[in-house]
Amino acid sequence: MKILKYSDVTPHNLYLNRRKFVEALGLTSLAFVATPTTAKLSYSTSAKPNTIDEITNYNNFYEFGTSKTDPAKYAHSLTTDPWEITFEGVSQDKKRFDLTEILKGKAIQERIYRLRCVEGWSMVIPWIGFPLRDLINELEIDNNAKFVAFETVYRPEEMRGQKRATLDWPYREGLTIKEALHPLTFIATGLYGKELPNQNGAPFRLVVPWKYGFKSIKSITKISFMKEQPYTTWSSESPREYGFYSNVNPNVNHPRWSQATERVIGEGLFGERRKTELFNGYIEEVGDLYKGMDLKKYY
Amino acid sequence: MTFSGLFRSLPISSLYCVLLIPIPLYFYWGTVNQLGPDPLRFLEHKYGELGLIFLLITLSISPLFKYAKINLMRYRRCIGLVAFYYIVSHICVYFFLDIGLSIDILLSDLKKRYYIIAGFFAFITLIPLALTSNNFALRKLNIKTWNRIHSLIYIAIVLSIFHFILMSKTWTGELYLYTGITIFILILKIKSTKVYKKLSTYSNADISK
Repeated sequence: MKILKYSDVTPHNLYLNRRKFVEALGLTSLAFVATPTTAKLSYSTSAKPNTIDEITNYNNFYEFGTSKTDPAKYAHSLTTDPWEITFEGVSQDKKRFDLTEILKGKAIQERIYRLRCVEGWSMVIPWIGFPLRDLINELEIDNNAKFVAFETVYRPEEMRGQKRATLDWPYREGLTIKEALHPLTFIATGLYGKELPNQNGAPFRLVVPWKYGFKSIKSITKISFMKEQPYTTWSSESPREYGFYSNVNPNVNHPRWSQATERVIGEGLFGERRKTELFNGYIEEVGDLYKGMDLKKYY
Repeated sequence: MTFSGLFRSLPISSLYCVLLIPIPLYFYWGTVNQLGPDPLRFLEHKYGELGLIFLLITLSISPLFKYAKINLMRYRRCIGLVAFYYIVSHICVYFFLDIGLSIDILLSDLKKRYYIIAGFFAFITLIPLALTSNNFALRKLNIKTWNRIHSLIYIAIVLSIFHFILMSKTWTGELYLYTGITIFILILKIKSTKVYKKLSTYSNADISK
């Protein structure tokens, strides 16, 4: 896996130009590219994306260490090809798929999403991938499934952070079926028009832009459909601090720090804090999912 | 002249210079965007961590002399004050850059955020130590009072460690290390107190009965 340099960054204006975009895809060694289509720009933010340098050198990926710079240093040791994903809670016979089989025929698109970390900082990231619903719709899911559970690969010999019991490995996350089927819920396989760097969760990761970053689980190997709310890592680690929903909400503070504002990565030492928005600014899209729900109780 | 002799002959002021250089240097790197994607958090954490490290070094000097016969006593005041300057820089980054001079955020942090409360009181307990770390105060105060003031450093280190633990999401390697060293220093200190010695003499006497 080659670590991308600042010079590899495609300027933003080229980005929105479809022809150049396809060209950029064609020129890189994207192993899993299907037919690219025009990104639905309405789902993307118009905010200026962070540089590839920022996006690939400031990561929370405890599987490679707890420091923000550890993933960039150590994630190269993870083998991402071949990659298998196992499904549970599906009635079809075939339950294990190679990633290439999953990506075959998927319409690959770009989504520029804002990412808000529970620690109080934010970034804007141009992902490449497809909506999770495109995958779910191809599966024969058990009728009574209400939740989707995701699991990160467990390979301590390749992920040095897993050798220590920082968290209860493997990392697990979950969504309700309704959240998983929402058109904003995205599977990223690339970034800035190129293959997803390992430190950003290669080769297959979830992106849920209206929830705190830790919900967007990386390097997924297992997806299960189930009736009950699944085990999720951070909410089990500290239930009072991290809820199952973990929707971005400036009015519900983390017990130890405020969530009202966020530091904008890339704004430098003297950058101003940004006011955090409910559902990270995606209220129009996802507000209906939580209508009538007490967001202070279901945080 | 031997190397250690040369080292000893250097004035303490040069030690101040060397140990304090990282404060302006890191700040400069921050202004020219050389501290990574999140320079503010980097600077804030770096000053805080170095402050903690220098506090731990200050605290180790007395046990090092007592148990290992390594005499660094003449550097103790300097290193202790250096720790204080790092902590002041840490708080300046928090107040001027992180919360942007907002008294509202400061007050709400001081009401609600346990790690800020712990850090704030750690800083308050260090102020009298910094103010009396000079020859004038040493002459003016009687040694018992001076010693009593300076034993506040043990409260400051415990509060500082709490500050660090409470702001962390998980137990990292650094956190284990600093907490471990603090506990070790505290055990050595407790063992050397009169109360502990008295108690252990009593219990020994009990056993021998």
